[in-house]
Amino acid sequence: MLKVENLCAGYSGDDAVRGISIEVAEGSCVALVGANGAGKSTLVKSLCGLIVPRRGSVFFCGENISALPASEVARRGISLCPEGRHVFVPLSVEENLLLGAYPRLPSFGRFRRAASGDLQHLYEMFPRLGERRSQQAGSLSGGEQQMLAIGRVLMARPRLVVLDEPSMGLAPMLVKEVFKAISSLRTAGMTILLSEQFANSALAVSDRAYIIERGSVVLEGASAALAKNPAVMAAYLG
Amino acid sequence: MNTEFLALAQMAVGGGLMGMAYALVAYGFQLTHAAGKAVNFGQGELVMLGAFAGLSLSTAALPYWVSVSGAMAVGAALGWFVERTAVRLALQQRNEGWILLTIIVGLFAVSAAENIWGREDKPFPTPWPEGALEFFGISVTWPELAIAAGALGIMTLVELAKRYTMAGIAVQAVSADQDAAELCGIRSRSAISLSWAISGMSAAFAGTIIAPVTTVGPTMAASLTLKAFSVAVVAGLDSSFGLLLAGIALGATENISGFLLGSGWREAPGLILLILALALRPQGLFGKKIIRKV
Ligand SMILES: Nc1ncnc2c1ncn2[C@@H]1O[C@H](COP(=O)(O)OP(=O)(O)OP(=O)(O)O)[C@@H](O)[C@H]1O
Ligand SMILES: [Mg+2]
Repeated sequence: MLKVENLCAGYSGDDAVRGISIEVAEGSCVALVGANGAGKSTLVKSLCGLIVPRRGSVFFCGENISALPASEVARRGISLCPEGRHVFVPLSVEENLLLGAYPRLPSFGRFRRAASGDLQHLYEMFPRLGERRSQQAGSLSGGEQQMLAIGRVLMARPRLVVLDEPSMGLAPMLVKEVFKAISSLRTAGMTILLSEQFANSALAVSDRAYIIERGSVVLEGASAALAKNPAVMAAYLG
Repeated sequence: MNTEFLALAQMAVGGGLMGMAYALVAYGFQLTHAAGKAVNFGQGELVMLGAFAGLSLSTAALPYWVSVSGAMAVGAALGWFVERTAVRLALQQRNEGWILLTIIVGLFAVSAAENIWGREDKPFPTPWPEGALEFFGISVTWPELAIAAGALGIMTLVELAKRYTMAGIAVQAVSADQDAAELCGIRSRSAISLSWAISGMSAAFAGTIIAPVTTVGPTMAASLTLKAFSVAVVAGLDSSFGLLLAGIALGATENISGFLLGSGWREAPGLILLILALALRPQGLFGKKIIRKV
């Protein structure tokens, strides 16, 4: 479904991603595991169009999307839940969720009615968001904001969900909750690409994984096999 | 004593009503700055072009409301044009060239207006009745009331559209976090263009409500950008209500100081206000970075 070939990307200086190739099959959950600064976020941002890759290409469902701006990538069905959540702080919880569904809502018509089914479904999944639907997103706790960011992504009815460090900065209790949400998405048949620092939870929830070090893939394979690999577990024990 | 007080009050009310037009022009700054982090330093010239467009349409014997709507459409197109030509490229290259470019577009607009419509000031026809209304001995003319109603009306409409349409919420999302908005499938460039069009539209509308009081001429907007800028810096970025208060205060002080100190001092309060605001709260309209560079 997603195929990244020999991708190089970076910021002002050297490449932060140095020729990475990955693949995500439809219906699978793939993890990117690597330490701080390995280049996971850079990879994920360049495949979503937030940064323009310097070399290499990204194919999604057979189409080359490497040169598209982020809004067009999103409209083709890849939804990134960015590192650090990036909810729209001054807007309400419900407005944040509605924005997730923006491309299919009428710009001037009755957008709330058009989205009411999806909203109701989402509030059943995350009751806490339902209780706080008219509260400002900035006033939510970190965990609630992460749930909101994931909810916003789901509102897009994506074909591929990309989660960039959804556990960052959360208490262990909340991390467990986030991973529970991820595995229930997976059981529902969603295709997921997950970037994580901590190997054990990421490998437990995924089918395949890539271990990334300093901008390159150093190891890849079935998550179950990687989880038994002592070198991996020593380096990335979470 | 009492008559002098009444004269002052009369000045304050007349100035305050005109100040609501300053607030409307400043509101245009707020709109484009929120979405795209830039403002049009030729905003006053858009006000002037809007007034001329309205005048030409009504000389073509179109009804008042049609002329005003036409002027607003012209203003929206001009606002969009300024963003496309003068602002987008500079911002993409992460420099502040847009400041100079928008000033240049404004200067160009003045000479274009002189060539098209001539240098002399012209009256702007309105359907409002002659004469004035009296409240407690203070008289208010219909065109002055139209400024107040128009400025309030447009700002209210735009604010409602921002809150209660999906397009408006999307523009707010782009203001809050452009990357996250793009990830939601919002085309942030279109949202920014839309803000510039609405900003140009309010400037042109401001022209059609100011002109009946001041007359229309190529230089009618000469000091308007500066005044609106002072209002925007004092009121800050987030509150349109603050803009109205600051605009009314500036308009009133201006008129009173012109009355007490002589008409040459009319422009002084705006300048003093701007200097004080920049000195006391440099985060004002722009944040530190750009103030340093200007
Ligand atoms: N906005 C930026 N500007 C310049 N350099 C950056 C920027 N963001 C990241 N980098 C650099 O790019 C490299 C890769 O960073 P990246 O954020 O992709 O790592 P990561 O694997 O996501 O790490 P983390 O687990 O800390 O999120 C790092 O060396 C980092 O310093
Ligand atoms: Mg990261």
